[in-house]
Formats: sequence, C-alpha cells, structure tokens
Amino acid sequence: MIDLRSLSRRGFLNMAAAGSASLALPGLVRSASAATALPAVNEKDAVIGFGHVGPVTDEGWTWSHHQGVLAVKEKFPNLKKVLEVENVPYSADATRTYRQFVSEGANMIFDTSSTGDFLHEVVRRAKDTAFMECNGHVLMDNLGWYYLAHWYPTYVLGVAAGHLSKSGKLGYVASFPVASVYTSTNAFLMGARTVNPSATCQTITINSWFDPQAAAQAGTALIDNGCDFLFGIMDEAAYLQVAEKRGVWAAMWNTDIRRYGPSSYVSSIIIDFKDYYVEQVRKRLAGEWTPTESLFAMGAGVDRDAWGEKVPADVGKAADAVRTKILGGWSPFVGELKDSKGAVRLAKGQKMSEMDLYNWDWSVEGVTGL
Amino acid sequence: MDLLTGLLTTAFLAGGVLALAAMGEVLAERVGVVNLGAEGLIAMGAITAVATVSAYPSPLVGFLAALCVGALFGALFALATVTIRANQVLCGLALTLIGTGLAQTIGKSYSGMPVAATFQGVEMPLLSKLPVIGPAFFSQNILVYLIYIILPFGLSYLMFRTRHGMNMRAVGENPAAADAAGIPVTLFRFGYVCAGAALAAGAGAYLVLAFVPAWSDGVVAGRGWIAVALVIFAGYRPIPAALSGLLFGFITALGFVGQARGWPIAPAFLSMLPYAGTIAFIIVPVIAWQRMRRLMAAPAALGQPYFRSVR
Repeated sequence: MIDLRSLSRRGFLNMAAAGSASLALPGLVRSASAATALPAVNEKDAVIGFGHVGPVTDEGWTWSHHQGVLAVKEKFPNLKKVLEVENVPYSADATRTYRQFVSEGANMIFDTSSTGDFLHEVVRRAKDTAFMECNGHVLMDNLGWYYLAHWYPTYVLGVAAGHLSKSGKLGYVASFPVASVYTSTNAFLMGARTVNPSATCQTITINSWFDPQAAAQAGTALIDNGCDFLFGIMDEAAYLQVAEKRGVWAAMWNTDIRRYGPSSYVSSIIIDFKDYYVEQVRKRLAGEWTPTESLFAMGAGVDRDAWGEKVPADVGKAADAVRTKILGGWSPFVGELKDSKGAVRLAKGQKMSEMDLYNWDWSVEGVTGL
Repeated sequence: MDLLTGLLTTAFLAGGVLALAAMGEVLAERVGVVNLGAEGLIAMGAITAVATVSAYPSPLVGFLAALCVGALFGALFALATVTIRANQVLCGLALTLIGTGLAQTIGKSYSGMPVAATFQGVEMPLLSKLPVIGPAFFSQNILVYLIYIILPFGLSYLMFRTRHGMNMRAVGENPAAADAAGIPVTLFRFGYVCAGAALAAGAGAYLVLAFVPAWSDGVVAGRGWIAVALVIFAGYRPIPAALSGLLFGFITALGFVGQARGWPIAPAFLSMLPYAGTIAFIIVPVIAWQRMRRLMAAPAALGQPYFRSVR
C-alpha cells in the first residue's frame, strides 16, 4: 500500500516548512509551479501507464486505483494503450518497470504507491512524460503528487468510536510507524476524545500492510486487553472478522467490506481516484497538464462509508454533524496538543496546516504503542 | 479473559498452520526428499478448501478436498524428484511458484467473500473446565486436536516404534542399504512425499476454515517457509514439530500482547521475537549439550536423488 518508510522522514523538515507557508486549501495544497505544460497528445496516440504496489484483486488500495484505471479507459476509449503492472516492489525493479513504460512510449505515468527515488530516477530522464506519484513528497518539472486528506473522515469515525466504545479503550492495527499511521491514530483518538475525554488508543504494529494472520492475532490481543472498538490501516478484513466473532465494533479502510462482519462494521475510510485520474489524463491530452500537489478533500476522493447496520441512528447523526462542520471549513486540528509524553507540541489556538497533517510524525496524548 | 489464557488460545490457533505443515515436511524429509513447495501447497490447500466449501458448505469436506489436492500436487512433485530424479530444490521452488500462482488465479472469483462454513469450537466435557488450559485448548475446533494430539503422537509411534517406520528412516538415511535390504525405496519416497504434501495443503485448509475465514491473495504470507525452517529446529521429529509450531505461535502472540499491554519494548523488537527465539532454541541446546548435535542431525541422504545403478 502506501510506502512512506524512509522517504517521508527524509523530506519531512523541508516539506513541513514549505507546507506551513502555503495556504491550506482543501483539494489543492499548492498551486502548480511555474513549469510549462507538456504539449497536447492525440488520444489515438496516447499511452498511459499505471504501476501498482499490490494485485488489483486486493479489494483495498490497489483495487481502488484499478477502478480509476477503468474509469480512464471508459472515458477515453480510443487511447492507444493503457499499461498496468501489479505488484511493483519498492526496489530497483520499480525503476525497471517505469523505464519500460517510458520505452513503450508512455505520455503519462501514475505510480499509485510512492516508490520515491526509484521513480524519480526515471522522472529525471524522461522529460516528455508526465509523472504522478501517490503519497509522494517531491515536485519536479514533470512530476506531481497526490494523496488523501484521510484525517478528516478518520476524525469523524473517531467521534462515532467515542460514542460506541463502552470501555473507552480503542484498538488500532497499524502497519509501520509512518506519517499515514500517526495521522490516522491521532485523528481517530482526537475525534473519540470529543465524546469521551478519557479515551485511549492502543496500537499494534504488524510490519505489513497485508498479513491477515498477523492482523487477526493483533486484533485478538487488543480485544483481550479490553479494547471494544478496532480500527487500522489494513488492506484486508481479518481484524473485522475477529471483531465480529468477539462482538466488538470495527472500522476499516479503502472499501466497503461490511460483508465480512455485518454486525461489527461501523464504517470505512472510502477512497476514490476515478474523477482525479480522468481529470489528470484529460489535462495531459489537452496539453494543460502541469505538475501539481493535491490532497483530496473529504467528499472529493475520500470519505466515510455509509454507517453499519448496527450503528445506532443517533451515533451516526452525531458523527455526521461533525462531518458537516468540517465540510463547512472547520478544522479540528487546532492546539493545544500534547504528545504522548505530555510535552506541548502545538500551542493553544495554533492550527495545523494540511502539510503538517500529511507529515505528522508524533503521537498525541493517549495514543500508545507507536 | 486472563492474559495467559488469551495468549495460549491464539498460540494454539495460529501455531496450527505451522505445526501441520511442519509435520508434513517431516514426513517428506525423513524419507530423504526436501519439499520446498510448502508455501505453494498451503496456498493450494487454502483455495481448494474455500472453493469446495462455497459449493458444499461443510468444513470437513473442504478439509478432505484440500488433502486430496495436496496429495495430487505431491504426486506431481514426487514424479519429478523421485521417479525422474530431478533437483529437489528447483522442483520445490517451482512447486511454490505454481501453487501460489494457481491459487491466486483460481482465487480471483473467491476473493472478498467470507468462507461459507468454518470449523467451530468443540468443548471437551470436563477437560474444558480446567483452569487456563481448558478454555485455551479444550474448547478449540476439532482440527486443533488432530494437529496437536492425534497426528504428532500417531506419526511419532509410526516412525520410531514400528518396523515400517524403521524402514522409512532407513530410506532417508541410506537408500542404497535400504534397497539392498529389500525396502522399496521409490515407493516409500513417493508415498511419503504425497502424504506430506497432503498435510501441507491441509494446513492451508485449516488456515481459511479455522483461523482467517476468507481467501485473499497472499493469505499464506510466508508461513510455508517458516514451516520448512521449523522442521530443522524440531530435529525432523513429529512431536517437536507440532510443539515448535505452537511455540512459534506463542511467541508471535506474545509480541502482540506485549504491544497491546504497552510493554516498554520497541514494537520492532517484539516482532523480532519469533525469529530470535527460533535461532536461540536451535543454537543453545547444541552448544550446551554435545549429544544434541547428533540427535538433531538431518537424515544422511536428505536432498539426494537415489540412483540404483550407481550405488
């Protein structure tokens, strides 16, 4: 799935500094750089490439991107070629894959799971090809990036969790201690604490985005320890099944997978790349494409899923009220915020910018285990 | 639920995949054939079980179907390595690739559906009332009893207490001598490679019918390789193989519980536990006790194809 490991760390300081200087517009973080647009391409001659981190059948991250690919194919049926490669590893093999795309004449390439320097090596050599990196951090003359402002719907789920959890102990099945996970756990607990100020969030990292066996064990350990609401960033449904069996609540990521645990399912962070991919390809063909940095706002590519069947109507309503407030421009990520060691990290009244949220690398008070 | 009970419950459940696959591997390696195809066989077993159960919702039928498919793939592998005498390592790797790929392809239409029927816990009368071990072990599904009681003791008796078992070990230690003594080497090897492969596929069925009840690409997640390693750790013996599966499950569970309880140890170290533990358990006894070296030794003819004409 999202691969931030080393990359996000290295670039953190620069990006945070640059980011805080910019306007936190939802959708587009910073406007396009001064780079000139690449020349237009005839649809009949255009080749578009997509590199995925997993298989398109994963029902999660890669599946969602694949839906975007299908939307592009439907909107532009006369494209000469749409190249799609699954299971691109985070290694020199990624460079080879993208170089292959270029040599097949790709006019535009999407890297749907940041491969960082392995991609940039190709970007620097193929000046006539437009590159888009999902969860990237670097802007070049022919490279832009995009990601989801998933912290807003996560905060909404947190509010629901605060209402639903009786013990106030929330469990989180995490992959790696990377920015996406820090932001996700923090937003989740901050939402829950608006309802239950003593709520805590216990995380377990399983060192994988996809390991049903480990996720099931982690879910079990969390429930055994008193957690009655599970959340996490996983590409599969294992901990939802555990929650269903043990009779606790669970919220998920990527897609609607309530059928794995209909009575435990609360909601999902639903992601949708269809409109964005179609728009980017349209711009490239029309000769309007310039490298941009985008964070999809809630309601425009990332959102909460319809509430689960067992979620009481008033809980859904209370959480949705917060959602409406955020859609109206309100941000819950305002100081004072303390980190898990009790030190004040954000002064009272200070607001986190979108880039701060994107690059969050510390846990708020009450989140343990990262 | 109290800490130890929770730990053991997960350990028994999670360790079952490894224990069953490791016992299958013990069977093959004891007759001198290294089967590196465990990962592929587990995947094939898992998808077979899912497909069967979705057509006929009985977990037992799903499990048996997986055993049959495992035996079939075992027969293919044995044909290549025992009859044709091709390189065992290469054939094993090929089996892993074929099994994983085929399971992925078949699995496309089953991906994203909960498994129709799963094994449910059976509470043993009286025994399930025992403290700690009662809820942790004697309330599990029927396969758990098969994996931790019936198979290890049955196989151990077969291998070390019967003439048949002695013949079997002779085939793995010195096939030429066994051949001279009138033991049908090829038949033994062929048969036990198939049986071992069937157990490995059974481990896949157990995985989706009792532990993680759904098919998804990559559900096996490398456990087949760990099973192969556990066989060495267990000194090629069925009871230690089952126990080492349990131990591995226990240490993994310990890592998660440690994180859940907020033990002040970095998560990276906790997830390292199973691997560090395995190495420690292999090295320490051998250093401390010289005789272990001989006891833990691999069958002498392991990995070598047997050619009667050049003996």
